[in-house]
Amino acid sequence: MGFPTAPLVTIAFKDLAKSNAASRGMPLERICFTPHPVWGKTDAEMYAYLEGNDPVTGKPLMKEITDALTLPLTADEKKTGSVDISTGPPTYTDTADALQQYYLDNGMTDFMQIVLPTDERLAAMLKGTSHKPDEIVGKMSPARGSYPDWQFTVKHVAINAVMAGAKPEYLPTILAIAETGLTSLSSSTNSFATAAVINGPIRDTLNMNYGIGAMGPFSQPNAAIGRAWTMLSRNLSNSGIPGQTYLGTLGNSVNYNNLIIAENEKNSPWTPLSVQKGFKQDENVVSVFVGFSISQGQGGIGLGVKPVPQYHEAIAYNCIPFGPLFGALIVCDPLVAQGLVELGYKTKEQLADWLQKNSLISAKNARSTLFAGRWVPDANTPDDALIPYYRSPDWYNFVVVGGQTNPYHMVGNMSYRVSISIDKWA
Amino acid sequence: MNRRKMLSLLGISPALLAGATVDASSKNPKTAARVAPAKITALNPKGLPPPVQLVPMAPRLASLDGKTIFLVSDGFPGADHFLAQVALWFQKNMPSVKTEYRLKAGAFADDDPKLNAEIKASGNAVIMAIGH
Repeated sequence: MGFPTAPLVTIAFKDLAKSNAASRGMPLERICFTPHPVWGKTDAEMYAYLEGNDPVTGKPLMKEITDALTLPLTADEKKTGSVDISTGPPTYTDTADALQQYYLDNGMTDFMQIVLPTDERLAAMLKGTSHKPDEIVGKMSPARGSYPDWQFTVKHVAINAVMAGAKPEYLPTILAIAETGLTSLSSSTNSFATAAVINGPIRDTLNMNYGIGAMGPFSQPNAAIGRAWTMLSRNLSNSGIPGQTYLGTLGNSVNYNNLIIAENEKNSPWTPLSVQKGFKQDENVVSVFVGFSISQGQGGIGLGVKPVPQYHEAIAYNCIPFGPLFGALIVCDPLVAQGLVELGYKTKEQLADWLQKNSLISAKNARSTLFAGRWVPDANTPDDALIPYYRSPDWYNFVVVGGQTNPYHMVGNMSYRVSISIDKWA
Repeated sequence: MNRRKMLSLLGISPALLAGATVDASSKNPKTAARVAPAKITALNPKGLPPPVQLVPMAPRLASLDGKTIFLVSDGFPGADHFLAQVALWFQKNMPSVKTEYRLKAGAFADDDPKLNAEIKASGNAVIMAIGH
């Protein structure tokens, strides 16, 4: 920035702060640490932090801060130049058991057995795409803008696809997911989850499950494509190192293989998600979401109470706990979608418009929400004014999936990010 | 009803009709015990990190006396309150230091060129509160 700076970080983020400073070219940055947390502490408690010691150095914190701004720079702190970062040798040779342990011990897996990526398996996997192995697919980081982007090629993605147990015919879908640049292992302390919605004929070509148990462990393509997303997030973007590039305090089991949702287009009365996003119906497309994961919503208000289930009310009710940081991903069994059509919601857009007008929050409550300064109306809006939950109806996204064994839906506080053509990677 | 059909109706794989446990090494256990496991070569799955461009740190101040320090929050909850306590500490302990609080614009990791320009024009140093 060009002026002396003392970064002040809580001790919980020590490894993150130091590794991040190093990756940005200041390995010796004079970072000062406070006890953790700061958030929720009283003024007196915070002041006591300042009067106490830096928990890393054990020296008085304010002395650390003033020294950081005034002690002359060392020769190392003035260094310039470029440093290459090694990710290890191109291959590893050992017994299969030893290699399994090596990959696990070195953070290259999801802590389950992998398919070892040999040259032969890579060659077979690469037959799933017409693209050259050294073609750049994209960039990814544990959090865009907060960490350096790593770059990766078709070959890199294919190696990770092998490790995840994918078949060559899954590779174009996995490449499309990789191209989104969205890690499935966000560095956030919130333990985020990711979802990929698959549309187009490839759902049947790959024999993806969009019927009974569609989001469960009942289909190889759904499972392996989802697992590959986490495997490549780990290895192609350096995501998922606890304390450094992963800070999710509780973690999220969805991260094992993510929410892979092949839309049940055949039984949906609505336009597929990909068409809503501007693609043709016969195009194969993946659309990705990120947020706080997804939860069962079948017990919502209106179901089983009125003669006709009021699915729209149930969905609105189930979205109430959502924060404003992410939008809504609403997953409906075809029975629910058909019921909504019979209630008058002929399109997903009509339902989104209704939710935008009827799913409301007081300005006061919106302001009290985390990150309120960035997401709520201006100061002129009275506290008791009811405002839409989201900025616009397109923050509601709907996907139809499931086996029609019960009219259930799920709601996820998750935001749409981007849609990518799978066909371009065939 | 034959056993295969019965298993199918029960949702159990008819392959289980084979019954006996299958051990890959059981056909020739003596040979299996003698032969050391073969070594294989597997590929590194890592992507391409960018090289790190070393950035020299900005020259330090000879002293903080009479200087203006900007107290900058990156927007995480609690940083504003915490920096208010930092300002209070300077009032009590180094009263010649002037402090100015600012909330950095944009998302947490975004640069804020307007604020940077303001600090360059009217400040001498920054204490930046990052995190929770």
